[in-house]
Amino acid sequence: MSVTDTNSAKGRGPLFYAGLMAAAYAAVAALAITGAVEGPAIYILVIAPFGLVFPMMAAANRRIDAGGKNCFGKGMAQRRYMKRVALFTSLYLVVLGIMTFVLNAGDPHPAIRTILALLPGLAVIGIFWAVGRLIVEEQDEFLRMLIIRQSLIATGFALSAATIWGFLETADVVFHLEAYWWAVAWFFGLGVGAAANRVQYGTWGAV
Amino acid sequence: MKNRLKVLRAERSWSQQDLADQLAVSRQSVNAIETGKYDPSLPLAFKLADVFELAIEEIFERD
Repeated sequence: MSVTDTNSAKGRGPLFYAGLMAAAYAAVAALAITGAVEGPAIYILVIAPFGLVFPMMAAANRRIDAGGKNCFGKGMAQRRYMKRVALFTSLYLVVLGIMTFVLNAGDPHPAIRTILALLPGLAVIGIFWAVGRLIVEEQDEFLRMLIIRQSLIATGFALSAATIWGFLETADVVFHLEAYWWAVAWFFGLGVGAAANRVQYGTWGAV
Repeated sequence: MKNRLKVLRAERSWSQQDLADQLAVSRQSVNAIETGKYDPSLPLAFKLADVFELAIEEIFERD
């Protein structure tokens, strides 16, 4: 099989779908900030791009498989990570859908509202946990270093953005932003970290 | 840290992937070590020494 055949067999890479998702979120953010879309419609628009996670996972697994049988051992931690992220992303979609539906349908008891509001956050915590497990389980020390570096850059990016935004908000310069957006900023920061890895080490890393 | 990995690989006609397989690491790891972008841990340096049947000092050089 030629190199071209191998590449076409692998199909589009995970970065293609990650780029599509980032572009979709940028569009949603623009719609929300400009006020073009308001209310529950924003939640629906936020959910939709998450569907791209699944082809992204499949593409990443194809890349791992295309590495050959020798790639299998080092790919196990990444494969488990992909499965965990897919699981918690699916859970997030389901509980966010339920929460939006129930809250819009009426005025539930505060206890139910609290539980419903906690569930999406717990699902996102699951994704953080998956990243942590990847760091623990990755046997390749260079890849592990890249993941840690990526996570630190993401953390710095999200905390810096939250701090700056918070003070701007206090000064009434910017509008109020719900705190869960800082988790989104952290995931975006992972992308920044991957780009930094690419520049410094010539590879994007494993997340 | 400077190293002689590329030369040692060439002497044995090993690709980066061949060496990566013997070390049970990714090809990216071998490339990063070979190009001096990443200094391996002591256990990985010993593994490299075992694979090439050389002492660590014969593979890595001080800057």
